[in-house]
Amino acid sequence: MVVLNALPPSFLGGLVGIFRNYYPLLLEGLKFTLILAVVGTIFGLIIAMVLVVFRLLKIENHQPLTSKIIKKGLKRFSILYIGFFRGTPMMVQAMIFYYGLNEMGVRLAFLYAGLVVVSLNTAAYLTEVLRAGIESIDPGQEEAAKSLGMSNALTYRKILLPQALKNMVPAIGNELVVNIKDTAVLSVIGVGELFYFGRSIAGATYRYTEAFVAVSIVYLVTVMIAVFMLKKVSDLFGKDAKQLLASESEGMV
Amino acid sequence: MIAVEQLVKDFGEGPVLKSINTTFETGKVTVIIGPSGSGKSTLLRSLNYLETPSSGTITFKDTRLSDDPKTLGKVRQNMGMVFQSFHLFNHLSVLSNCTVAQVNVLKRDKEEAKENALNALEKVGMKAYAHRKPSQLSGGQKQRVAIARALSMNPEVMLFDEPTSALDPEMVAEVLQVIKKVAREGLTMILVTHEMQFAKDIADRVIFMDQGQIIEDRMDDLIFTEPKEERTKQFLNLLNH
Repeated sequence: MVVLNALPPSFLGGLVGIFRNYYPLLLEGLKFTLILAVVGTIFGLIIAMVLVVFRLLKIENHQPLTSKIIKKGLKRFSILYIGFFRGTPMMVQAMIFYYGLNEMGVRLAFLYAGLVVVSLNTAAYLTEVLRAGIESIDPGQEEAAKSLGMSNALTYRKILLPQALKNMVPAIGNELVVNIKDTAVLSVIGVGELFYFGRSIAGATYRYTEAFVAVSIVYLVTVMIAVFMLKKVSDLFGKDAKQLLASESEGMV
Repeated sequence: MIAVEQLVKDFGEGPVLKSINTTFETGKVTVIIGPSGSGKSTLLRSLNYLETPSSGTITFKDTRLSDDPKTLGKVRQNMGMVFQSFHLFNHLSVLSNCTVAQVNVLKRDKEEAKENALNALEKVGMKAYAHRKPSQLSGGQKQRVAIARALSMNPEVMLFDEPTSALDPEMVAEVLQVIKKVAREGLTMILVTHEMQFAKDIADRVIFMDQGQIIEDRMDDLIFTEPKEERTKQFLNLLNH
C-alpha cells in the first residue's frame, strides 16, 4: 500500500499526503495508544487502591510481633515500589521488564508487556495521589465509622475510598492524559502505538518532519478531546447533591 | 453494664486519666461535667476504645474490651456515639448515613434498614431531609441526623461527646430536645456536656471530673445546688458568674 515518492515536495503537501495515504496506520497506532492509556490507567488505579492500604498501614506497639513484621514488610514494599517507579524513566522500566522477562524465558506479546509497564507505573503515581486524598479526609470520618462497629476494611471501602476517589477525579484524569503521551516510549520495546507507526511512516517516506508533525497533531487532538471529556466528568462529580439526588435516592449503599 | 477499672490514659505528657474506677448502670442517664482538660471526653472515648487505655480495663456486659477487631466491632455496634462535630459521612445522603452500618455491619436487609433509618429520622424530626446531603444541612440538623445514625443501630448505650458545643446558640435547643426525647425512652446514656441546666434536667447521676479524676459522683441532681466537694463548688460558681 505504500507508494514511495508519491508525496508532494512542499511541507504542507507532504503533511496532507501523509494523512491521506497513511491514515489507516495512524488510526491503528492511535487505537493502541488509547488502549494502553485507558486500560493502563484503570489497572493502575486498581493496583493503587491495594497499594495505598499497605502504604497507610499503622504499626502500633501493642500489636503482636508477627502482625507488626508483616505490616512493616508490606509498608516497606509499597514505599520501595513507589520510589522505583516514580524515580526511574518509564522507558527504562519497559526495557528492564521486557528483556528481563525474555531472559527468564517468558515471552509476552508487545501489547501486554506495554500494558503491564504502564499499569505498574501509573499505580505508583496514583498511590501517592490516593494517599494524599485519604489523608486529607477529616479523621472524624474514620472515628464515626469505627464507632458504628465498622472494621478497618469496611471503613476504607465504604467511607474513606469513595471520598478520596471523588476528590481524585481530576488527578486520575491528569494521569490518563499523561499516559496518552508517555506511552510513546513503549515503542522502544516494539509496542505498535502511535509513535511507533509515526516512525514507520517517516522511514517509509523519508519525510521525517511531516510524519512527526502528523503524529503530534493526532496526539494533540486526542488529548484535547480527553481533557474536554474529563472536565465534563469532573463537573459531574463536583456538582452537589442536587444532580446526584435522583440517582442516589433509589439505590442505597 | 459498663465497668471501668483502674483506667489510665497518658498521651505522653502526663496522665489525662488517673486510675478511674466506676460503673455505668443499665437504663441510667449519666452526665459527666468538669472543666476543659479534666479528661471527661477522654473517659467517654475510652468506653468504646476510640482511645486505647494506657492501662486498666473496660468491660461491656461480659466482654472485656481489647484490640481484637472482632470484639471491638461487636461492642461498638452496641454503643452509639455522637460527636461534637457530627462527623456525618459527607459523600452519603442522610438516609444512607443511617443505613450504611446497618447493612454492612449488622447485615440487615436493605428494606429493613431503610425502614429503621426512617423511623430514627422521624424521631429526631429529620425524616423530610432523608435524601439531602450533609452539606445542605445546618449544624443542628446535622447533629440530629448523627443521633439518628447512632439510633438506627439500636444500640444499648448512647455516648454523647459534647453534642452541642460546636453549635450556634440558636440550634442548641433543638438538639437538646431530641436528646431528652431519647433519654425518656429508657436508653442507657452517658453524656459529656457544658449545658448545666440540661444536665440537671436529664441526669439520673452526675459525675464531676477534674484533672483526670472523679471528684464527685452523685446519684441525684443535688450536686448543682448542694455540691459536697470544694472543687465542685468552685467550678459551678465559675459557671454562674
